[in-house]
Amino acid sequence: MKIRFFAVVAAATFILGAAPAWAHHAFAAEFDAKKPVHLVGVVTKVELINPHAWIHVDVTGPDGKVTSWMIEAGSPNVLLRRGFTKATVAPGTQVIVDGYQSKDGSLRANGKDITLPDGRKLFLGSSGTGAPYDPKK
Amino acid sequence: MCYRFLVSLGALSVLLAAPILAQTSGGVPRTPDGHPDLQGIWTNATITPLERPDALAGKATVTDAEAKVLEAKSANELAEADGKSEGPLLTATGSAGTGGYNALFIDRGSEFARVDGVKRTSLIIDPPDGKVPRMSADAGRRLIASYVGGGFNSVKERPLSERCLIGFGSTSGPPMLPVLYNNNYQIVQTPDSVLILVEMVHDARIIRMNATHAPPDVRQWLGDSVGHWDGDTLVVDTTNFTDKTRFRGSTENLHVVERFTRIDAGTILYRATIEDPAAFSRPWTIEYPFLATPGPIYEYACHEGNYAETDILGGARKKEAEAGRN
Repeated sequence: MKIRFFAVVAAATFILGAAPAWAHHAFAAEFDAKKPVHLVGVVTKVELINPHAWIHVDVTGPDGKVTSWMIEAGSPNVLLRRGFTKATVAPGTQVIVDGYQSKDGSLRANGKDITLPDGRKLFLGSSGTGAPYDPKK
Repeated sequence: MCYRFLVSLGALSVLLAAPILAQTSGGVPRTPDGHPDLQGIWTNATITPLERPDALAGKATVTDAEAKVLEAKSANELAEADGKSEGPLLTATGSAGTGGYNALFIDRGSEFARVDGVKRTSLIIDPPDGKVPRMSADAGRRLIASYVGGGFNSVKERPLSERCLIGFGSTSGPPMLPVLYNNNYQIVQTPDSVLILVEMVHDARIIRMNATHAPPDVRQWLGDSVGHWDGDTLVVDTTNFTDKTRFRGSTENLHVVERFTRIDAGTILYRATIEDPAAFSRPWTIEYPFLATPGPIYEYACHEGNYAETDILGGARKKEAEAGRN
């Protein structure tokens, strides 16, 4: 019984673990795993474009200087199916972004997680999203 | 003039009425020419992997109770990975990186593929071990090159999916495999042609019915597909691939035979046999359902904002400049 349980766990890990390798582009080709970024800023624009949506965020540094970052998000098609539109994160919304900066050193990063000030994860879509195959459907 | 208008209107109403007139037998809708009607929007999203995980060796199917445990585990892992970014982010410094995005990015279904009433642990049904047959050394090299590309000197050296030329993981195929997201297809059918619109990446497969293949010197990204009906099953034969497509390390002589059977109102059973002696030690077959989904299909004009490409090539230039300074 115990062996069987471990087999099941291993299989699930394998199944999920296989997923990240199959994206539009390899993460490691574009982003630098040694450059994690933690940004607190204000949304200025949302580009709901292919193959990735981009969220533009102005970040004010300790010296008061504002830098404009671009955050790579998911496929616009997936976002639309989750009910995310250009209006979902209106310009002026404050967000916290955890991600990795691009390898070329430009102010672009992937949005590993994007959090609203009240703690809600912007992209938490694991349940109740109404998406195809949603467990609640 | 007025008469002509009425004729046009009459023709239009016939066209509009056609789907309503389509006959239904045994729960399977049919087109006016009597063939099963495959039209509609479909998804092949599933968490069943192409190859059977070693942990499930010898177990081609799982019971619903077993599947429930695995499916819940998979969903939990996805949810766990979301919202715990900061620790892993910092831990990742100096490591190879997590390579991840948040859970919303991922839309590959939440269930194992169900065929003949039972859930399957691999999309591959032949060989019976659920694994891709032994690949030639050349095929292995081609497979790796198709993932990582040939270098960073030019866009032309980057993988095809990164360049938005074809979908990653063989979405349009053939064979048409489920991947991480956008697993949606629309089928439009006439007596002469069947068209499959593949959401990712904006590909339209045009299957010419009862036709012969293009001459061997005509090579296409998605190959050349011709179809015929075998009873109630649409059989699609595809050859004439380019030497760049490289499905799982295959050559341009890849031969794919797909079978589409609408088994009920909500399901097309999809089966594809893959053959390429220069790549695989034997032919192999995959099988899984395409399920009706409400849609709509969205555009996926992949190159629209493909900033990734400039970031990737720019990153390589920066690395070179840094190396030059050392």
